[in-house]
Amino acid sequence: MTHPDDTNPQVDPERLKASMNRLFEIYRDISTKADEVVKNRCPYKNAQSRCTANFGCRNQFFTKDQAAQPVCAGSDHIDYRSAWDI
Amino acid sequence: MPITNEGLKKEFEHVTRPGEQKHIGEGLERADSLMQELAYQLIIGGHLEVDRLTREALDNGYTANTILDDGLLNGMAIVGVKFRDNIIFVPEVLVAARAMKAGMAHVEPILSASGVPPIGTVIMGTVKGDLHDIGKNLCIMMLRGAGFVVHDLGVDTAPDEFVDAVAEHEAQLVGMSALLTTTMPNMGRTIAAFEEAGLRDEVRIMVGGAPVTQEFADEMGADGYGENAVECVDKAKELIVLLKELQGA
Repeated sequence: MTHPDDTNPQVDPERLKASMNRLFEIYRDISTKADEVVKNRCPYKNAQSRCTANFGCRNQFFTKDQAAQPVCAGSDHIDYRSAWDI
Repeated sequence: MPITNEGLKKEFEHVTRPGEQKHIGEGLERADSLMQELAYQLIIGGHLEVDRLTREALDNGYTANTILDDGLLNGMAIVGVKFRDNIIFVPEVLVAARAMKAGMAHVEPILSASGVPPIGTVIMGTVKGDLHDIGKNLCIMMLRGAGFVVHDLGVDTAPDEFVDAVAEHEAQLVGMSALLTTTMPNMGRTIAAFEEAGLRDEVRIMVGGAPVTQEFADEMGADGYGENAVECVDKAKELIVLLKELQGA
């Protein structure tokens, strides 16, 4: 269990190195998975199928709630890039 | 201690593979209530809460190692599992990465002061006229994870903004992203701006983005090209070593 350690505020470099390596491994797995996911799912589409892009896209469907992010109406089987209003 | 944080307990239910349950579970059980809350806030992308909790932990005598291992990394490990299993997607990962950055902002100065300096400083941005930022943001996440300090200029970045940022932060590397064939030429214009400013020899410039190729990078006079975020980090590490060798020579 963690606890405040007033007597040893120094960093343990070896432990730090292991932590940073672990973080990098997590990120590398995420990046590899992202490369796979973006082949058929727009990367701006979140888990609630809302669009998080800061640019226009023809797949954006705006609801009555103006504050809400638009719903993504795109198909995950069609190239989504062709819908981006660029 | 057992996982007492209700939100974290629910998040941990997403971890179903036995090996991961053991490994991540042991990490979470090592964490006290403050570290559990820190991990939970990171998972849900509460960057303001992560900022506050990290400061609180440091003020209360927690070591940087403890904050990193028992709070931030425990949270990011679950984010990784949720992404792999299609429970969350790229936007949620990037929100969690922003929360990680908020916590690391407090931890990094302690690490540097303890003889663990950053590998190098990178200026990242999407070129002028281009608003696409997902690829760039994934690269930034990876670079930070690898130990680089990254200054993100965002999207629609003018050549002068890249030049000014390098001068301001004394960066060794620049990373430019473009998703559109129409904005790709702005990478070349940015490289030209570095030449005009007399800074071209001081920095190494990397480019990337869906339409960018090694051939195009070579034609523009870029020093490196990465097809994805992993390659971006590999290239950044390679370039920083070469630059340091050159400057030391």
